[in-house]
Amino acid sequence: MKTIAITGKGGTGKTAVAALLIKYLTEGKNTVLAIDADPDTNLPAALGDTIENTVGGMRESMLEGRDELPPDTNKKSLLEGKINSVLVEKPRYDLLVMGRPEGPGCYCYANDLLRGIMDQIANNYEIVVIDTAAGLEHISRRIIRDVTDLLVVTDGSRRGLETAERIRDLIAELDLNIENLYVVLNKVTDTNRERLQEYATDLNLKLVGMIPFDDNIAHFDLEGLPLTGLPEDSLSVIEVAKIAKNIGL
Amino acid sequence: MAVVGCPFEMSPMYEGERIRKDDLYVELAGPKSKGFEIVRSAEMNEIEDGKVTLIGPDLKDMKEGSNHPYAMIYRIAGEQVEPDIESIVERRNHDFQNYIQGYMHLNQRYDIWVRISKEMVNKGLDSLKQIAEATMMMFKNELAFIEKIEATFITDMAEVEKELEEARKVYDVRDTRTRDLHDEDVDTFYGCTLCQSFAPTNVCVVTPDRVSLCGAINWFDGRAAAKVDPEGPQFAIPKGEVIDELGGEYSGVNDVAVKLSGGAFDRIRIHSFFEYPHTSCGCFEVVGFYMPEVDGIGWADRDFKGTAPNGLPFSTMAGQTGGGKQVVGFLGVGINYFRSPKFIQADGGWKKVVWMPKALKDKVVESIPEDIRDAVATEEDATDINTLKSFLQEKKHPIVDTWGAEEAEEEAEAVEAAQGEVPAMGGMPTLAPMQMPAMSLSGGAGGGLKIILSNAKITVDKIIVKKK
Repeated sequence: MKTIAITGKGGTGKTAVAALLIKYLTEGKNTVLAIDADPDTNLPAALGDTIENTVGGMRESMLEGRDELPPDTNKKSLLEGKINSVLVEKPRYDLLVMGRPEGPGCYCYANDLLRGIMDQIANNYEIVVIDTAAGLEHISRRIIRDVTDLLVVTDGSRRGLETAERIRDLIAELDLNIENLYVVLNKVTDTNRERLQEYATDLNLKLVGMIPFDDNIAHFDLEGLPLTGLPEDSLSVIEVAKIAKNIGL
Repeated sequence: MAVVGCPFEMSPMYEGERIRKDDLYVELAGPKSKGFEIVRSAEMNEIEDGKVTLIGPDLKDMKEGSNHPYAMIYRIAGEQVEPDIESIVERRNHDFQNYIQGYMHLNQRYDIWVRISKEMVNKGLDSLKQIAEATMMMFKNELAFIEKIEATFITDMAEVEKELEEARKVYDVRDTRTRDLHDEDVDTFYGCTLCQSFAPTNVCVVTPDRVSLCGAINWFDGRAAAKVDPEGPQFAIPKGEVIDELGGEYSGVNDVAVKLSGGAFDRIRIHSFFEYPHTSCGCFEVVGFYMPEVDGIGWADRDFKGTAPNGLPFSTMAGQTGGGKQVVGFLGVGINYFRSPKFIQADGGWKKVVWMPKALKDKVVESIPEDIRDAVATEEDATDINTLKSFLQEKKHPIVDTWGAEEAEEEAEAVEAAQGEVPAMGGMPTLAPMQMPAMSLSGGAGGGLKIILSNAKITVDKIIVKKK
C-alpha cells in the first residue's frame, strides 16, 4: 500500500492535482482511498461527489452522545461503524472527508480510537491519496500515518513557494515519517517556467512535474464541473499522468 | 483455518477486511435496513447443540446488490453460563465473524452492519447457515464455558422487527444492571496515561463510580481496551487492599500512583476533594474550586465563559490545576462523575456543592439530591462571594448550618498553621493554588507545603521568608 499526500498553499491547485491523480489511478487497476484532510473540503466537488457527513462530524457525535450510551458500548466499534457510514463509495475509489477540526474538549481518547480505525480502513486499498492543508494537521497528529510520497504543489507566486519551504521545514520539525518529498509546479507558463525551476532548485526539493496553465481547468472551475470529467488531451491530465509515473505509480 | 463444509477461511488476518460497494454481493442490516445481534443464556436441556434455524430468505435466494434485514440470536448453555456474561459473549460475535473471509461485520447490538462479498458467493457460499455454523464453532473453541450453543438467524422483516422489540427489553435490563455496577463490585480498576504527553505525572484512575477526567473513558472502555492491548494507554489496576472505603483509597491504586507519577505522589483517594485528591490532567471537563468564605465547593465547566464567584474563569483555574498535580483546593473531573453515587463522598458529596453554571446544573440536575437541588446557586443567582452567601442563607443550604462552628475552629487553627493565611479569592487570578485555604481545613493534618523539584536548576539572588 502506498500513501500519497498532496499539499500546498490554498489556491495553488493542490486539490486539482489530487483529483487528477485519483482520476488517473482509478482508470488503471487500482482501488483508491481518497481522503480530503483539508477543512476547506474541496475534493468532493472536484471529484463530482456529494458528502453527507465527515469523520470530524462523526467523532463529535460520538463525544456528544457518550453519556447517554449504554455504559458497556464498545466505542471503537461504534466509531468504526460511524466512519464507515460516511465513506462515499464510488467505482474504483472510496472517499473519506475529515471535515471539521477539533473543538475545545479533549480528543486524546477519540483520536486514539480514530488512529486504529483509519489504519484498518486504509489497509484495504492499494493506494491512499490525501488532499491536505499546508499545516498537515491530520498527519502531524498521526491520525493518518506513514506517507510514502508528499507532493508539495506550488504556483508561480512568491507566497506559494514560501509555503512550500515552510512545509519542508515543518516535516523536519515534526519528525514525520515521509519517505519522499517532491515539489510540483502548477500553472506554469512560458514566461515563468525558467524562474520557477530555479526556485524549485533553491528550495532543495525534488521537482517531479510541471503542470502547464490549463484553460480547461479554468473553464471547469468556473462552471463548477468535476475535474474528473476533463478531456484526456487536457494539458494538466497529461502532465499528472507523467507525475504519477515519475513517482512509480 | 479452513472450515468444514464452507468455502471460506477463518483467520484473524481477515479482521478489518472491508468489502467495498464494487465487491458487494449483499448487505445485511446496516443503515439501509434493520437488524440486531443478541446472546441469551439458557438451561442445558433447552438447547440442541449446533442447531441452526433460519427464518426468511437464505443467501441463495437474495439478489446481487440487495439489502436485507438480519438478526442473529444465539442461545448458550453451560454450567458456568449465566445472564451476566451474555453481553461479554455477544461482543465476541463481532470478533469471530470478522475472521470470516469475505464477510464484514461492523458495530454492535441493533447497529450491526454486515456485508458479504461477491467473491465468496462465487466460491460457493450460498447459505447463512454456513456463517452461523462457523461462528458457533469459534464460540465453542474460544470460550470453553459454552457447552451448548444454538442459533436462530432471521432475514424476514416482520420477524426481525418483532424479535428486535424483545431484544430491546433485554438490552434495557442489562443497561440498568451495568449502570448499577459500583467500585465495590469489581476487583480491577483501569488506568489511562493518554494524557501523560503533557501531564507527565497524571494518573487517571477509572472506576465504575468514576469516569475519566476527560469524560471519554468509563470503566467498561478501560476494560475493553486493556483486554485488546494490555500494554496500551489503558491498563488494569488491581484494586488491592481497601485502605479507606469512603474516600476511595486502595493499595493497588497507590502503588500505581507511585510508579506512574515518578514518585511525585503516593496516595490517591478517588472520591476525595481535599485529602489526597485525584491528580488533574489538563483536559478535564469540569474544575471544582473550594471557596473558604462559604466553606463550599463550586464547579465550572469548559463551556462556561464567565467568571465563577471566586472571580476566576474556567481557563485560569484549569491552568493552575492541570499538569498532573494533586492540587488541594481544586479538582478536575468528568461530567459523568456528578452522576456517581460516590461523588466526592469523602467530603460530604452534594452537601458541599454550592455553585455551578446553569448549563452544567441542568445537565446533571437529576443526580442532585432533591433537598438541595434549589440551594445550589448558578450564575443567575450569584456572581460573587457576597451574593452567593445570601443565596445560600436564603435557600437554607445545609452548608450554612456549619458556618458558625467552623469559624470558631478556623480561628484556632489559623494560629497553628503557619501558612494558614487565607488569601481573598476574588480578583486574584495569579494565586498559586498550593496557598489555597484547604490547608487550614484539613484539621491539623497539613503542617506545611510539600514542594518537589525534579531536574530543577534554580538561580536565586535573594529569598525573604517572613512569618506574619
